[in-house]
Amino acid sequence: MSQADRSIPFRQRADRAMQDVFLQEALTIATTKFIGLRREAFAGFPEGEGLRDAAREIKEATLQHLDRYLEQLVENVERLGGRVHYATTPEEARAIILDIARQAGARIAVKSKSMATEEIHLNEALEAAGITPVETDLGEYIIQLAHERPSHIIAPAIHKTKGQIADLFTKELGRTVAADPEALTKLARGELRAKFLEADLGITGANFAVADTGTVVLVTNEGNGRMVTSLPRVHVAVMGVEKVVPSLTDLMVFLAILAKSATGQKLSVYTTLVQGPRRAGELEGPEEFHLVLLDNGRIAQLAGPLREALYCLRCGACLNVCPVYRQIGGHAYGHTYPGPIGILLTAMLNGPGAVKDLAHASSLCGACADACPVRIDIPRMLIELRREVDEKRIAPWTERIVFKAFGWLLTRPALYRLAASVGRLLQRPFVRDGAIRSLPLFGDWTRTRDLPMVARRTFRERWRNLELEPRR
Amino acid sequence: MTTRAEFIARIRAEMGKTRGLPPAAPARRPERPRAAAEAIRRELAERWPEALERFRRELEQVGGVFYRVPTLAEAAPVVAGIARDRGARRLVGWHAAEIGGDLVPALAALGLEAVSMPPGEVASAAERRRLRELVAAAELGLTGADLAIAETGTLVLRTGPGRPRSTSLLPSYHIALFDRTALVESLAQAGVVLESWHADGQSRRDGAVISFITGPSRTADIELTLTRGVHGPKEVHAIFVEAPAGG
Ligand code: SF4
Repeated sequence: MSQADRSIPFRQRADRAMQDVFLQEALTIATTKFIGLRREAFAGFPEGEGLRDAAREIKEATLQHLDRYLEQLVENVERLGGRVHYATTPEEARAIILDIARQAGARIAVKSKSMATEEIHLNEALEAAGITPVETDLGEYIIQLAHERPSHIIAPAIHKTKGQIADLFTKELGRTVAADPEALTKLARGELRAKFLEADLGITGANFAVADTGTVVLVTNEGNGRMVTSLPRVHVAVMGVEKVVPSLTDLMVFLAILAKSATGQKLSVYTTLVQGPRRAGELEGPEEFHLVLLDNGRIAQLAGPLREALYCLRCGACLNVCPVYRQIGGHAYGHTYPGPIGILLTAMLNGPGAVKDLAHASSLCGACADACPVRIDIPRMLIELRREVDEKRIAPWTERIVFKAFGWLLTRPALYRLAASVGRLLQRPFVRDGAIRSLPLFGDWTRTRDLPMVARRTFRERWRNLELEPRR
Repeated sequence: MTTRAEFIARIRAEMGKTRGLPPAAPARRPERPRAAAEAIRRELAERWPEALERFRRELEQVGGVFYRVPTLAEAAPVVAGIARDRGARRLVGWHAAEIGGDLVPALAALGLEAVSMPPGEVASAAERRRLRELVAAAELGLTGADLAIAETGTLVLRTGPGRPRSTSLLPSYHIALFDRTALVESLAQAGVVLESWHADGQSRRDGAVISFITGPSRTADIELTLTRGVHGPKEVHAIFVEAPAGG
């Protein structure tokens, strides 16, 4: 249906999503609900604003000494009996994990939701190597059965109805089940419980990693994160290098705002602090613990234009408030990370060329920056990205020429005034209801946009006569 | 394969290119975590009833159930009552020493099939398998709790010998016992206690996992309909024992 298919252009993907009546309705309901829950959570939490500032500062402080914190993390993980691996590229990350899986003799790998493993396309690689990856987050499980990709960072299956899910379970699991969330969840619980007990390998991401203690932190609501880190014999955690935080005290600052931003909960149901493999005296727990540190374009941004995007906690708040995401949903973006932050992360991972259309899939309204728990200035970076895309001559030539000319005009006041008076005359045939709805040669641009008409009197003229205007 | 040295060197090289960064510092940590944690305990020696009330409210908000009993012995009939109402009989629990007393005989007398977990690891693979099957088949899991965070209604459980991870995870009904020494008011206070545990170093009693549990397992992945017990327990019961275990 509205699956990510990058072979067709972004505009067509977006068009298709906007014609999908069910998707439109699901998006509106989901994002509206998340916005309300988030607002309520922060309304009852006056210290929230201060904590957001603190969290932002911690992220910045960590990046300023990232080498030191990562070394500390590595030393502590190794002290606790874990092994650390370093992956510069997705290929390297996949090779490392496949190697661990082979040595463990794994046939089934249970996974808890992880954007990092989505990003490196791990499942395809596991399958090709004869290892069955099983997504255990309910939403991800549904998506995996349907051979689709997540449409929202924290609610991967919001684009599917319970009826579609019931049909899917019947087809893929050979079990008939009522189209009722409770019954569907129960069926999935049973299916997945068996996999947890059977799997040799557990694969997770990491929401945070604490340098001072060597702790990998997983946040889930379902409990699959706990299953995956407790039952299989080997646990592999994959994390982007930016996820490290200095101390447990810092961790608590993030925990206090993460769930509120994501789902409006005060805290997610399970926050699991994993400190290495099973210890002496413990009845259960993995014999081996591996941490894969992932670069994949992140390190280059330490001094790059997208540095601030490295603060991201993946809470999804910026998706919910984005007027573009709310219209087109996650699949139309065509990459692992959707929404406004997704555009920046896609540019980080795949280079600016990958977002020549997407860089414009934002109204720059600033709602994302307001909602972001760590106040990432997404619009600023989008504008920079647009300029970069433009400098690399990826934008259409008409657009480049018009903006060049416009920029030239803006720096010449006399000419600008003249152009305004000429424009006022020339616009007449095109103005309807106070706006220019279509312009010859610019059909593509005005198809989705109205241009405000040139005012009858310019601001400068009004300013000059300000004293003469009636006061209100 | 990228080595640690190469990886860190690349990071350092990129860090060297940055300029004009804003001044920034991480959160201020307690200088002496143990003393700071003690200070919190002392303050709460007077304020604990308010903290307990807040904990109850928040726990109920997230779908948990709260009980209060005068002594540990009186927790047994509460546990048996929870089991009876749900038609459940099989219970697995942390080892008696980790809960503060042995409830197994009392629970057995009340008609439950109750089994305590061994005090440490088990050498025989067959025995480990048997125990896992036992836990997987149990309907009720009985544990202690090392912290109860009032602000969020959260129970914090450290794993370790006699306190296996699966007791609070595989059974459908999780029942946790705690007393006022576990109470803290906020996440920030919980952070101080975590720092003090860390400062204590790795003791014999430590396992590799610390779990924060805030209500029953939940999902809203199907049409945003809240559903409980997707992987973890579908019910969480917290029993407050007035008489602290250590006297
Ligand atoms: S950019 Fe901010 S709001 Fe968006 S997912 Fe990341 S942390 Fe959340």
